[in-house]
Amino acid sequence: MSVVETPATRRTGGSTPHRASGRATRTRRRRQGSGLPWLLSVPTLLLLAGLLGYPLVRMVVLSFQNMRLRELISGRTPPWVGLDNYTRVLSDSVFWTVVGRTVAFTAVAVIISVVIGLAIALLMRRVAHGVRMLMIVAMMFVWAMPQLVAAQAFRWITDSDFGVLNYLLDMLPGVHYQNHSWFVNPWQGWSVITTLVVWAGIPFLAITLNAGLTQVPKELIEAATVDGATFWQALRNIILPILKPLLTIVTTLSVIWDFGLFTQNWALRDGHPEPEYQTLATYSYTQAFGQSRYSLGSAISVITVLLMLGVMAFYIRQMFKIGEVD
Amino acid sequence: MKRKIVAAAAIAATLLGAAACGSKTDNSPTTSASGAVDGKGKTLKVWLMIDAQSGWKGVVDDASQRFTAATGAQVNVEYQEWANHLTKLDATLAGNDVPDVIELGNTEFPKYVFSQAFAAINPADYENSGTWLQGLKGACDFEGKTYCVPYYAGARVLIYRTDLFKKAGIAAAPKTYDEFLSDADKLQATQKSDAKFGAVYMPGQYWYAAMSWVKASGGDIAKQDGQKWVGQLSQPSSVAGLQKWVDMAKKYSKADPTKNENDQAGIFAQGEAGMFYGNAWEQGAAEQVKKDPNDPNSKLVDTKVKGKLAAAPMPEIPSFLGGSNLGVTAKSQNKQLAAQWIKYFTDSTSMAGLVKANALPNSTALLDKAAADNPTIAPAALAAKSTWFTPNAEKWADVEKGNILQTMLSDILTGKKSVADGAKWADDQINTTLNDN
Amino acid sequence: MVATTAAAPAARPRRRVDDGVMTVGRSRAGTIAANTIGVIFSLFMLFPVYWVLNTAFKPPTEVLALTPTFVPTHPTFDNFLSAFKAQYFLQDMLNGLVVTLMAVAGALVVGFLAALAIARFKFFGRKGIILVILAVQLVPFIALLIPLFLMLQRVSLTDSLIGVSITYLVLILPYTVWTLRGFISGIPRELDEAALIDGCTRGQVFWRIILPLTGPGLVATSVYGFIQAWNEFIIINTLNSPAKQNLMAWLLQNQTTRGTAWGPLMAGAIITSIPVVVFFLIIQRNIATGLTAGAVKG
Repeated sequence: MSVVETPATRRTGGSTPHRASGRATRTRRRRQGSGLPWLLSVPTLLLLAGLLGYPLVRMVVLSFQNMRLRELISGRTPPWVGLDNYTRVLSDSVFWTVVGRTVAFTAVAVIISVVIGLAIALLMRRVAHGVRMLMIVAMMFVWAMPQLVAAQAFRWITDSDFGVLNYLLDMLPGVHYQNHSWFVNPWQGWSVITTLVVWAGIPFLAITLNAGLTQVPKELIEAATVDGATFWQALRNIILPILKPLLTIVTTLSVIWDFGLFTQNWALRDGHPEPEYQTLATYSYTQAFGQSRYSLGSAISVITVLLMLGVMAFYIRQMFKIGEVD
Repeated sequence: MKRKIVAAAAIAATLLGAAACGSKTDNSPTTSASGAVDGKGKTLKVWLMIDAQSGWKGVVDDASQRFTAATGAQVNVEYQEWANHLTKLDATLAGNDVPDVIELGNTEFPKYVFSQAFAAINPADYENSGTWLQGLKGACDFEGKTYCVPYYAGARVLIYRTDLFKKAGIAAAPKTYDEFLSDADKLQATQKSDAKFGAVYMPGQYWYAAMSWVKASGGDIAKQDGQKWVGQLSQPSSVAGLQKWVDMAKKYSKADPTKNENDQAGIFAQGEAGMFYGNAWEQGAAEQVKKDPNDPNSKLVDTKVKGKLAAAPMPEIPSFLGGSNLGVTAKSQNKQLAAQWIKYFTDSTSMAGLVKANALPNSTALLDKAAADNPTIAPAALAAKSTWFTPNAEKWADVEKGNILQTMLSDILTGKKSVADGAKWADDQINTTLNDN
Repeated sequence: MVATTAAAPAARPRRRVDDGVMTVGRSRAGTIAANTIGVIFSLFMLFPVYWVLNTAFKPPTEVLALTPTFVPTHPTFDNFLSAFKAQYFLQDMLNGLVVTLMAVAGALVVGFLAALAIARFKFFGRKGIILVILAVQLVPFIALLIPLFLMLQRVSLTDSLIGVSITYLVLILPYTVWTLRGFISGIPRELDEAALIDGCTRGQVFWRIILPLTGPGLVATSVYGFIQAWNEFIIINTLNSPAKQNLMAWLLQNQTTRGTAWGPLMAGAIITSIPVVVFFLIIQRNIATGLTAGAVKG
């Protein structure tokens, strides 16, 4: 990977092509003064700075202040409290329970979704054409359903009075699920939420991984079969290694989405998740907007971003390399 | 185009970090609603809750017309949903383009009054202000001034199935709590074959109901002790009330312990319960549903329980006095006009309209007349004479929004926590929330 | 590796799905089992969709029945009519489309430029830009709600479709840049170099080579932006009043205190999903390939 020598030596005018060097050394990028590329990047950078950067800075500042409703309404600068919000959050066992719950949920949901997604992707290669079309159509419908709509649908299906799930379960002999409430027991409630998240996440995973599987050379698998490899051996030794970069990306993406779980538990709990249904996102939202502890909510958000950055440093490095290479 | 440039320049200015601006409202004079105001060319922005639109839009329009005729100002009413409305309100109040008149639930008001969101008004300017319902007015008072105007009230009553009562051999609505329980037993006995049937429909997070039981036992939610608020739920009398409520709900209710009361009328209409505890209008909501729920003028469709319901005060259980107040925002540019509009919207003419729409008027003086004019709300009007109200603490709304009571009730009803443990937990939460700075 | 996948539509013709890839352990019984599992899986996936449809076509009394019916006994369009007649529904649908299209179009234009810079130029600060674009995707937008609101309020862009459009634009921008970058670097550099040798100007290279070849990438990228913007409800619900919100916020608001009206809610939900389905149908060929490059879910 050749990184630029010195831009200055190449100052021969922004638009002059460098035929010789470009072709001969296969240097992949034109080099010149950074005027044009910066010009191209300016609109993006300005927008990001204005609508993301500035609020972000305000959020961080807010986390060192104590902004309550009174300050919000009057517009007075809230009092500075230093690290108070952080000590309060970090010494609160409720917060750590929420962190633990969010992490646990993310781990479980991601593992289930990726495993099922991969299984479905493999299955799609195995089934008849008609069945594959059916699977694709089914997944497209699920995918097209907005998160909020999907969550409402699940709330309706699991409703204790009118839900079809209780009705169907109740028809099983010896099972009494009339008026069963799925959210009394957090294990059951989280099963519903996880099912929803996995259900909604599978189409993306299965279709992407299926596309990735087209990259697996047929000849390799055939050769393996000739050598007497079982399906599992072929999977472990041929398919997974080839799929690995793609798997890494879809897994990290799933981690980001599931870690930020908000809509699903929010909507399934009708806009007021009980303590055992709080995740980091809903917890920070409830603190900030529900309790008008804007500063505390900001502190939680800052910590969340830091946690994410820590976990995702790996992902960013991976993506960064990709961006660097080509 | 020009506007965009201005906007871009302003964003730039903001980015450069202009200092926070805003005006102090502490010492603003009391807004008067008397005398003539010329409002020609002005438009008043009013936020009412959705109930006004679905229940008594005619009253709103009539008041606005009279207001416009008198002042020349136009009125623009926007109807808000209860779900999440405070979040939106907070964001709006933070800005400068705020509504002039805002309706809030009475338990929500103190937080905003303490936070100086509303301007002081002069009670004498409003009709019946001498006899305003205390449960409504209490939320408006702060440091000797009044910051809002009572709008309407609701009291909860016992709504029951007359046909099932008859079948069980019960002649009249229960007069004592013991009678209520024995009636529930009788209903349960006659409907034994129906596994879905519960004598009482009592959803688990219905805290207005549960706290009424607490009050009935002499308990309380929280009490002020000097500067501090102290949760009272783990006091013996409160625990006794909670226990009484849990025992009743466990024995007679098949309702979801994690639901609140929002859907109770619709669920009760399925005919699988004998009694429920609700607002007067919920009797109507259980008997008839709108064919098209999105159309305020929709045809009504009868439900299974049509013509089989009656209401009576819940014996020995004081009702929570719910309701709404109206306030003039501190940042309003049209405070006097706003106060005038409220005057029209809360006068006796408007109150008569509300009574017709099954809401309780804002004054004790009007309650008896309301009961006489509209038999549907007579039991509620009666119940409104013995009511309780939530602690008048600045942060009370946060207790509600934090779902502290709801969570505790679900927990003790499902056995996740014992009543004593649940009450203790709730007290801790209440103490933190109410005394939080 | 990944970049190759992302660039597939631009760089080389899509390979037809090959039935024979997974030939290991293929047996008749296995095939039957696989097909059966495939069908069961599809039914499981479709069940909630079916149940939404089923509910939407039921009259109110049948919706709220303790014994659910699996086919509406008295099918009706009332719920759909009700949704259409409901206050703000049509307005919000239009708003949603306007806001979403403005945001997507804006993000494509702005993002394309930045993507071009990152993919085709080596310059001082490039690494920094890449890092920023990757990192900002981790920021939870909800946390920025209040500062964002205060800022937009100051420039009178709250309760305005423009304010929301710009916000959504920024929301989908990082991922748009990142995805387009993948597509652009999928175009062999030799192509533009050859064109330059032939005497094309920079501008001509852009218009005649890069832009046409990124076409499928632009389409694929726009879908995810579209879904993202179309599905958002927390920001718009806070920034704007009901007359200036979108369908998602409308759905949220449509649960009245007097009980959830499930029928019209489900009907509204179906209508809300339609634009996304249509969009999917249009770009279905590019879906799988576009995905791997982006980092924001639909």
